[in-house]
Amino acid sequence: MLALAALSAGCTAKGGNPAGSEKEKDVLYLFNWNNYLAPDSVRRFETACNCRLSQDYYSDNEEMLAKLAAGASGYDIIVPTGNALDTLLRQGALKPLDKSLLPNLRNINPAYLDTAFDPGNNYSVPYAFTLSLIGFNQEKLKELDLPTDTWALIFEPRYLEKIKGRVTVLDSQRELMAAALKYLGYSVNDASEEHWKQAAALIVRAKPYWAAFSNAGYIKELAKGNLWVAHGYSNDMFQAALDAKKTGRPFTVGYTVPKEGAVLALDSMVLHRSGRRPDLAHQFINFMLDGRNSAELTNLTGSGNPNEDAMRFIEPEIAANKAIFPDAELLGRLEMLRDLDRRQRRLLSRLWTEIKLR
Amino acid sequence: MRAIVAKMLVGGPPLVFLLVFFAAPSMIMVLSSFRFPGEFGGLAPLAAPEGGTGGDYGLTAEAYQFFFSDVIYVEIFLKSFGIAMATTLICLVMAYPLALLIARSEKRFRNLLVLLVVLPFASNFLIRIYAWMIILGPESGFSHFVNAILGVFGIAPVTLLFSPFAVLVGMVYVHLPFMVLPLYTNLEKHDPSLLDAAQDLGATTWQRFWRVTWPLSLPGIFSGSALVFIPVLGMFAVPDILGGTGDILIGNLIKDQFLGTRDWPFGSALSIMLTLAVLSVAGLSTWVARSAMRHGQ
Repeated sequence: MLALAALSAGCTAKGGNPAGSEKEKDVLYLFNWNNYLAPDSVRRFETACNCRLSQDYYSDNEEMLAKLAAGASGYDIIVPTGNALDTLLRQGALKPLDKSLLPNLRNINPAYLDTAFDPGNNYSVPYAFTLSLIGFNQEKLKELDLPTDTWALIFEPRYLEKIKGRVTVLDSQRELMAAALKYLGYSVNDASEEHWKQAAALIVRAKPYWAAFSNAGYIKELAKGNLWVAHGYSNDMFQAALDAKKTGRPFTVGYTVPKEGAVLALDSMVLHRSGRRPDLAHQFINFMLDGRNSAELTNLTGSGNPNEDAMRFIEPEIAANKAIFPDAELLGRLEMLRDLDRRQRRLLSRLWTEIKLR
Repeated sequence: MRAIVAKMLVGGPPLVFLLVFFAAPSMIMVLSSFRFPGEFGGLAPLAAPEGGTGGDYGLTAEAYQFFFSDVIYVEIFLKSFGIAMATTLICLVMAYPLALLIARSEKRFRNLLVLLVVLPFASNFLIRIYAWMIILGPESGFSHFVNAILGVFGIAPVTLLFSPFAVLVGMVYVHLPFMVLPLYTNLEKHDPSLLDAAQDLGATTWQRFWRVTWPLSLPGIFSGSALVFIPVLGMFAVPDILGGTGDILIGNLIKDQFLGTRDWPFGSALSIMLTLAVLSVAGLSTWVARSAMRHGQ
């Protein structure tokens, strides 16, 4: 009986306000990724709205969903990635937007609107994105005469034997499988078990050449020159390139989207059902749709930018980077990950366990 | 009557503790392992919602079927047991001389020495593991030293970090104090006159250790081993941080089910199997310990 009560408590928990005993009235609660909003933007918004912006952070979508499921509430705005947006929408956890309060929505490049997750953008507004791609030590790879624009670099033993032990790949079932599927010419959302097995075989064949599965450690190692090739996120590669430059390393960190295509992770601003200040929330969304504020985030973190008006505020060398402003041709090769159903998740997990164990 | 009251007073709190913090959570795990996973994580409801269209509701043994449908899960269990066993043995070999040294040192130094053993706990566990990342990293002095020695034997440069070796180092480092403390507590209580008597009867140093100290220290060895073996079995952070491409343990697999895969029933089933395995190991070692001590008498 006790056990049953505890079980159901998990599903129906009505948690308190994220900031606990916050008494002020004019506070906007934002549940955001780590380091995903420039401090200057926060200050300017607080002046403009005459309110306070309170942020809580998460480092992946699962963590955010788990915290919401465990009862966290009171957030006005959340910034989920596409597949998590899908989950939140199907859970009925979001409030529709009032587009009349968002005149700056016209700044968004139409290529990022009308996604499969939220056709018509009734619930979500694009914020920023990252691409999953290959980062590399430019000088070293030139010296070894290796191609940098193809997934073959991390999957083909004939290339890998020159860089054995100097390569890491993402420790993520979906991301690594997506890269392998793309290399094999399939969609990142291909859920055929046959294709998954081919991808897993490709991964197992390449695994002995990799140093590790790494989700964050590669940034530092790439910037120090210990790693020569890393499969990772575009904003992290931006960071690694910046670090290498700042510390005066005798090499540069480059990154390109493989020609076979890659994953685009588009983060959107949404209104959570439990939010109490939709007025401030709309004001914030419209504020972030302003080119200057959006550009500030890109200049700080190297995040991809869906805002066409932001271009003129972006530092020139960043604006020229195709991983941050993909052109139409590149956009055609990018795909967003969709959520898997529970049976597919279980199968993928078994395949992943096998990959790790072999 | 008074005896019964006294028994309840002494035995009551631990019993309540066991019920609330072991039995009840285990029951929750057992129950959730027999449910269907929810579409968004969590558990599927027990009954179909009103007007619901079929789907998977109620109880199922699917998670256990899945566990036994592939040999890899048993393989992961065996591998985790192997690592736990190796960690326990290495800890024992390293901790025994240290505990003996502390127990035999002058009384006024003992507390200080024990304090030094537990001092690492003052800094956060993750920070200590990250420190090993630097120590074992390719540019560290330690790495250069090891490779210089191996170079003499013509073994090509080895990478220490991101390997099973690094995982073992991390595991031993984290759990060593848990072996030292029970051993010390036991060894400290030994009556020194026993060793004097053995010497008077003509025993050599080795004989005095092997026939007097070692058998008397068996309870300490067993409790220390349990304190190391069981946590190592469930550890996921060390292989995550220090391990390479093949270092997945049962703890990582369970963590994965609750986060990335969002498959609570299978995660619960795995953890139930782990609890059963740990309980049987504990039962087995108690039995071995008892018969060893009976043999010793």
